[in-house]
Amino acid sequence: MALLEVTDLTKDFGGVAANSHISLEIEKGEIIGLIGPNGAGKTTLFNCIVGYHKPDQGIIRFKDKNITGFKPFQTNREGIGRTFQLMSISGDLTVLENVMIGSFCRTSDRRIAREEASEILNVVELEKDTEAYMTELPIATQKRVGLAMALATRPELLMLDEVASGLNPKETEEMVALLQRIHEAKGLTLFVIEHVMEVVMPISQRIIVLDGGQKIAEGKPKDIANDERVIKAYLGEKYAKGRKNRGSI
Amino acid sequence: MQIRTLKDALSFGDLPASERIGFILFIIFCLIFPWIIKGGFAQAVMIQFLIFCLYGLGWNLIGGYGGQVALGQAKNVGMSAYTVALLIVRWDIPFWVCTPLGVLVATVESFVLGYFLFRLRGHYFAIATIAVSLVWQQLFINWNFVGGARGIELPLRETPNFIYMQFVSPIYYHYFAFVLVMIAILYMNWFRKSRLGYQLRAITANEEVAESLGINIHWVKVKTYCITGVFAGMGGAFYTVYYNYIDPFSVMHLELSIMIALMTMIGGAGSMWGPIIGAMILIPLDRYLGAWLGGRGIIGVDFMIYAMMVMIISAYEPKGIWGIIEKARRKR
Amino acid sequence: MEMLLSTLISALQMGMLFALVALGLAIIFGVMNIVNFAHGEFLMVGMYTAFLTATIFSIEPLLTLPIAAMVGFLLGIASYYMLVRYLLKGPMIAQLLGTFGLMIFLRYLAMCIFGPDYETLEHGLLIGKSIKLGAVVLSYPRLGTAVLSMLAFGIIYWMMDYTRLGKALKATALDVEAAGYMGIDTERMRGLAWGLGGATVGIAGALLINFYYVFPTIGILFCMIAFATVALGGFGSIKGAFIAGLIMGMIIDLGGTYIGPQYKFALVYLTFFLVVVIRPKGLFGW
Repeated sequence: MALLEVTDLTKDFGGVAANSHISLEIEKGEIIGLIGPNGAGKTTLFNCIVGYHKPDQGIIRFKDKNITGFKPFQTNREGIGRTFQLMSISGDLTVLENVMIGSFCRTSDRRIAREEASEILNVVELEKDTEAYMTELPIATQKRVGLAMALATRPELLMLDEVASGLNPKETEEMVALLQRIHEAKGLTLFVIEHVMEVVMPISQRIIVLDGGQKIAEGKPKDIANDERVIKAYLGEKYAKGRKNRGSI
Repeated sequence: MQIRTLKDALSFGDLPASERIGFILFIIFCLIFPWIIKGGFAQAVMIQFLIFCLYGLGWNLIGGYGGQVALGQAKNVGMSAYTVALLIVRWDIPFWVCTPLGVLVATVESFVLGYFLFRLRGHYFAIATIAVSLVWQQLFINWNFVGGARGIELPLRETPNFIYMQFVSPIYYHYFAFVLVMIAILYMNWFRKSRLGYQLRAITANEEVAESLGINIHWVKVKTYCITGVFAGMGGAFYTVYYNYIDPFSVMHLELSIMIALMTMIGGAGSMWGPIIGAMILIPLDRYLGAWLGGRGIIGVDFMIYAMMVMIISAYEPKGIWGIIEKARRKR
Repeated sequence: MEMLLSTLISALQMGMLFALVALGLAIIFGVMNIVNFAHGEFLMVGMYTAFLTATIFSIEPLLTLPIAAMVGFLLGIASYYMLVRYLLKGPMIAQLLGTFGLMIFLRYLAMCIFGPDYETLEHGLLIGKSIKLGAVVLSYPRLGTAVLSMLAFGIIYWMMDYTRLGKALKATALDVEAAGYMGIDTERMRGLAWGLGGATVGIAGALLINFYYVFPTIGILFCMIAFATVALGGFGSIKGAFIAGLIMGMIIDLGGTYIGPQYKFALVYLTFFLVVVIRPKGLFGW
């Protein structure tokens, strides 16, 4: 039994099919990458799974339970956590308090929430910053807080939205290492959504490629890198970009 | 569990020493006030200050911590006030039985309305709360069963009466109001540390993120709105026995809702002491200035001053006076 | 039957005025997503302007229209540059309570200057005159108001679609950033939107004074009507404001005649409530 099972998912916005007939499966304990050029429908798929959009067609099952059409807070309670590209919650709350909001998802006791939050902050190596305010922190740290908040809701499947955006190469490397550590320590299943191929390749066990709202390839990173259709989808975009740039000069 | 809740409510240990000292001074001031200041007008202003503290502390939950501009507190005050007044006038039911019923009515109204209104966001919500309060007011003005525009007068009793909360001396009312405010403050103290408090602040900051953390936004808002209704309901019940008279213009009026919101905003929405600071400034200003200007035939200047304050606060420091204090403290 | 007919006609006439009142609110909302709680007070200012100019200089009330428009325009511009500009930087609650503060300020300023009394104009080209067509009585002030409201509405509508200014406003409404890249001075456009909003509602006020009394707290009533109209038409939609204005006129006049005059405004609030709960987008919203 797969942990997450998406069958024949279709979503269109006013006649434009953002996702058409997408099916995928994620096993427990896997790291899966979801890649594709801009506008490929990654975010739509993501939002359908976590519940921000209701799919027009198709079924989403999580732990063998039909969660199609669940609201985001419901999917979270089922065990799907997510991060945002920028997840800052409040300038009035400290890092610890922000993470406590996540912990409060599972307990109503303030002491337990506080303990769990500081434990998770240790995991993401932010024990020094617990009393800092969100607005005072650099982007890389804010992203870690966001990760900690999502982890605090104790998800079984963690969906990561562009974890590397806004980070420099060194920070990206650290983030990838951190994700790997969390994965190994907790056996957490990760679903990594990225449009930069270089970030997903080293950590993913399996990669799914979207283009034009359709799944065009799925397989091991090494095979994906050599897949003709994937190269076309990416190079096509790069080629088009190159032309546009030249045109504007 | 219950003991822990109580301990949370009673513990102010996490606050800076200056705030704790301020709080103790506030308690002492309220306790000795009726014994030092004997003037009838001053005592009446003090009681009004306490009532508005209660209203403001309640509104602060949904308006301050929750960031939802609900401009209909008056209708909850009115619902409870009318329930209490009707039960006393028509069936002679003791105050202590009417009050829970009045609060219940105010809370149920909050629940039903909140359930529908919290599908709306931002300005839609704010305008809808105004619309609903205006409907209620017109309904009560035209509804003869509740006295219409004339309102309801409670029967006067010969001797001081604890069952119907009728006293000649304002001291009893003073301490009763003070107890209500203290309950409200202790509740707030628990609230700001509770799960609900954290979830509500998360919603105010970013609804999308809050939802992804397993928070049922709609339900949290409705719940908070109901608690706000409880506070307003207690205030309304007290108002009825204190003034012995209510009408749709005193307890259902939009101006009351406006006053509560402006006061909290000026003092500092979303902070524990904000509503009290707001009431401390606005209520004496309102009563003394109002009396002074009214004596000279000038009307409206008092409201113009609050409006100026609110405009300045909204434009430069949306966290109000408390926000300015906090900023100064963080800089130090 | 005759009663229904004359009610319908009166409703249509009022509806055109409501549309004009709502127009300003729709423009401001469309351009910068902020609700002007002081809109009703702008109307009140327009009414007092027309009332005072007409009585002090004893001129024909209809000639005060440009003056009321000018005063409304300046009031709108001043509100934007002195208050709203700063509010836009703050959180939602500050935006809402900020214009709310402006509403209270204008309202009690009028109270302070004019006192709580009701005032009406007694002399004028249209005032107090009517014509009888069959069984239906047409009152001149209402008829004139309807015609001039429609005219003003038409001019603004045309301006939005066919002039550079209108196109720049629309562009700012759709995407501030993109409009900025296109070389549009978006800050000026926002100020202008407030000026236009103030001017249109100022005209509406100067028309309304021909057959309605003015008092300092009249604003909230028309503000709620305008909110309901704009919500029904769809926030930000000009065409929607027109049709919704006519519908509002129907609701108020038919409700007032057949349900009871004391409930006619409660009907407005109820309509608003139902619209935002059932169809928050309104009829033509986006």
